Amino acid sequence: MKRVVLFFLLLVFSGVVRAQITADSIQRLDDVVLSDVKLKRYSHGYKVSVLSDSLLQKNRSSFTDILRFNSNLYFKENGYGMVSSPSFRGTNASQTAVIWNGISINSQLTGQTDFNTINTTSFKNVVIRSGGGSVQYGSGAIGGSIHLNNTLSFSPHFDNTVTLSYGSYDTKNVSYLSSYAKDKWSFNIGLNYIDSDNDYKYLSTDKRNTNGAYYNGSVNANVGYVLSSKDVLKLYHQTFLGEREFSGTSSSSSLAKYDDQNFRTMVEWSHQGDQTFSKLKVAHLQEHFKYFGNKNTENYTFGKVNTYLINYTADIDILTDLKLKPIVSYNYYEGSGSSFDDPNRKEFSTTALLQYTPNNQWQYGLNLRQDITSGFESPLLFSFDVAYEVSDYYTLKLNGSKNYRVPTFNDLYWQPGGNLDLVPENSYQIDLGQEISYKSAQLNLNAFYIKTTDLIQWEPNTSGFWSPENIAKTQNYGVEASLDVSKKIKEHHLSLQFNYAYTVSEDLETNAQLIYVPYHKANFNLAYAYKRMSLFFQHLYNGEVYTTPENLSGRFYSVEAYQVSNLGVSYQLFKTKSQQIDVSLKVNNLFNTAYENVAFRPMPDRNFNFQIQYKF
Amino acid sequence: MKRIILSIFAMSLLIVSCSEDNDDNISTEPLGAYEDGIIISGEGSPSSISFISEDLTTSENQIYFNANNEATGVYLQSLGFNDDKAYIVVDAGTITVVNRYTFEKLATISTGLTYPRYIAFANDKGYVTNWGDPNDETDDFIAVVDLTANTVINTIPVGNGPEQILVEDNVLYVSHKGAFSTNNIVSVINTSSDVLTTTITVNDNPDEMIVDNNGDLVVLSSGKPAWTGDETKAAITKIDMDTNTVSTTLEFSDGQHPELMMYLNGNLYYNLGSSVLSITDDATAVTSTPLFTTGATTLYGMAAKDDRLYFVDAVDYTSAGQLFIYDETSYSLINSFTAPVVASKIYFN
Repeated sequence: MKRVVLFFLLLVFSGVVRAQITADSIQRLDDVVLSDVKLKRYSHGYKVSVLSDSLLQKNRSSFTDILRFNSNLYFKENGYGMVSSPSFRGTNASQTAVIWNGISINSQLTGQTDFNTINTTSFKNVVIRSGGGSVQYGSGAIGGSIHLNNTLSFSPHFDNTVTLSYGSYDTKNVSYLSSYAKDKWSFNIGLNYIDSDNDYKYLSTDKRNTNGAYYNGSVNANVGYVLSSKDVLKLYHQTFLGEREFSGTSSSSSLAKYDDQNFRTMVEWSHQGDQTFSKLKVAHLQEHFKYFGNKNTENYTFGKVNTYLINYTADIDILTDLKLKPIVSYNYYEGSGSSFDDPNRKEFSTTALLQYTPNNQWQYGLNLRQDITSGFESPLLFSFDVAYEVSDYYTLKLNGSKNYRVPTFNDLYWQPGGNLDLVPENSYQIDLGQEISYKSAQLNLNAFYIKTTDLIQWEPNTSGFWSPENIAKTQNYGVEASLDVSKKIKEHHLSLQFNYAYTVSEDLETNAQLIYVPYHKANFNLAYAYKRMSLFFQHLYNGEVYTTPENLSGRFYSVEAYQVSNLGVSYQLFKTKSQQIDVSLKVNNLFNTAYENVAFRPMPDRNFNFQIQYKF
Repeated sequence: MKRIILSIFAMSLLIVSCSEDNDDNISTEPLGAYEDGIIISGEGSPSSISFISEDLTTSENQIYFNANNEATGVYLQSLGFNDDKAYIVVDAGTITVVNRYTFEKLATISTGLTYPRYIAFANDKGYVTNWGDPNDETDDFIAVVDLTANTVINTIPVGNGPEQILVEDNVLYVSHKGAFSTNNIVSVINTSSDVLTTTITVNDNPDEMIVDNNGDLVVLSSGKPAWTGDETKAAITKIDMDTNTVSTTLEFSDGQHPELMMYLNGNLYYNLGSSVLSITDDATAVTSTPLFTTGATTLYGMAAKDDRLYFVDAVDYTSAGQLFIYDETSYSLINSFTAPVVASKIYFN
């Protein structure tokens, strides 16, 4: 009944809206350029940080490394380049949503995204949105969400970037980015290929990472076409093909290999109506993995899921200070794999986002979502957020939400063990943020509390196999601080970014810290530019993490805290109005520190990367 | 130069210590910290090995890590003991050879093994069961190891999923649990010629084996559990090792799938869940009346020696394991110790 009422409300709202004249042309430009408007317009009470394309381009490294060194996220990486899963505010890997141009791309099999299967060079920006976002982004957005955004601009331009790099462990990377727009067309394309032996030395041993080689290629191709003065059609596509050997531990090597194939295609039609600005999205996502226990044989296990999605949304200005965005979405998932038959799942969801801006100082958001899913009951989700600009220098932000994570295909259908009686994990949270900005300095302080119940955990059952149950309860709380300062003195540019997070994430039954959640994590980036030369230094401190539920500390049972630094220098060889050549050298793990990120899986020693980039 | 000084110093110590010895009483220097006691291995992760002294007064976890400053690998399947050496068998494809009394590493066997499971010793050679690629049912083999060079010198092809391996009079008996699928045979191998002489069919999923006081080979087959949709009966099978034929099969009822077995003083012990049951050598049927129930959450291994019954608990497969020691006659708990993560095997040093 509740659902019916909600859906009815949505329909009524969109029906009774009175005619609006485009009030804010800049905002509408955003609507045309961005594929994910809700990130910009419905997240005022949230901490949202942006990693720009210049950072992604300049600081070429894996997505894991970019986030490790530039955000509060903690990563659990099974050796460099291997499976990498995030922990956002102490939540687990399937509680961080990864959003590609507005739609979730977390695996339907595992619930999480392996961050080493994402190449960021072709994205306009990467946005980190802290805090619960299930209302907007669906399952898994509990700790926060990571947004990969492409933009299509229609102002005439033709820009190309070719990048070649070579580094330690015979690492070769080539990429080509091109962006073109003229008249009614806009294109951008990104091609990237990387290949590495990744056979780094395990420091203080005589061993190397013998089974860690990888290569992957990705294609991002986006096209926009202006159909009429009111209609724009866009196509987004991404292909990722990768093959990785899975390295073993410091004491035993491995023979395993893993293939990833991911295809994502979305068509978006936006229409500027008399009353509303509406968008219709149709998308197809395919994830497909093959796991070879022994790379020398042809035997493998696999999993594959196709997702078909149709999504309709409208941006409605009910009043000048009151905006409504209803979203209706239907997802159909079909899976197949070695460990289950051919299950499928249907999901229908209705969402209403309401944004009220009574004056320049206050922003209120109220959001509701209800899913109707085949197989299990989904809870009614809500979120609210408030931003209050106390003064020009000081803004207070508050948000609270109820979020969820649905059981994955593995949880439901794995044979044996899959449990069809599972319900989604439920999570409540509250987050208070303060933003202090003065001149070119900005300080963000956040405190959060998250309580999650019905956590899905695989346990051995009485029949002799493992099965998932909704049993665990956890609470996470902590504080985050981010400081951003830049200073320009004559021709000297200096900038500093600093992040620190204190995170407690505990099992409510044992009151013990969850494994692989550090209490402390900090990083800073120092950049200096003078004329044609620029330099950066980045440093990461990652606190000790426990690997046992008993929280034993020491050489064998916990992963020691570590500090690691990178240094980069780049020089502009050549620059004209339309052409530019940059060369850069980066030293990773500058001080040749022996460290592990996951127990008994050493990370690389000092290594070098040389890059040449030509823009025209 | 430093070395010479050092060796002179060492020799002088030796002379001093020798001179203090009473010549009539030949000294029995301890061979190492882990000479007398119980060795527990855990699959992990992290995998590790624990030691508990025979008098149960001292215990030490991660003894291999403590001696060598490295972990034992993924996943530690089993240990084997021969002369003064212990062999640590790791699924990933390595066997680490250590001094069994100090656990200091001596050598590593890392080529010629694919998914090794268990090791046994006969005719001065080591024999290692290997699954090969667990998805391939035709590439399974026994690796023959030169114990001096620590290399694989020969392979003997066998049926799918060779598991435990037992030596009796230089003849090898291999139970075939069937790796990732299922099997129902025991292979018999001649260690002079290193060839497969025969296979004996038993109930599905044979795993643990012992030799009883009648001189029969006793094999525990756990049968296929109900969740496979094709349940088969578990059984205790006795094999006459002269003729290599089955002499007795004691089947369990449906729903009963024991996986662990041990033998002490004429009693054959097996488990049902965390309960312990026993029959005598001449029993004509299995019993389903437990002697007692151990304190284990997930009973994962058992062994018996000198009036004591030892049980390891894998708990939830992530927390530290437990070792429980019970008295053989009163079934009362004598003591318990923390054990490795996913504690699975118990050995006596």
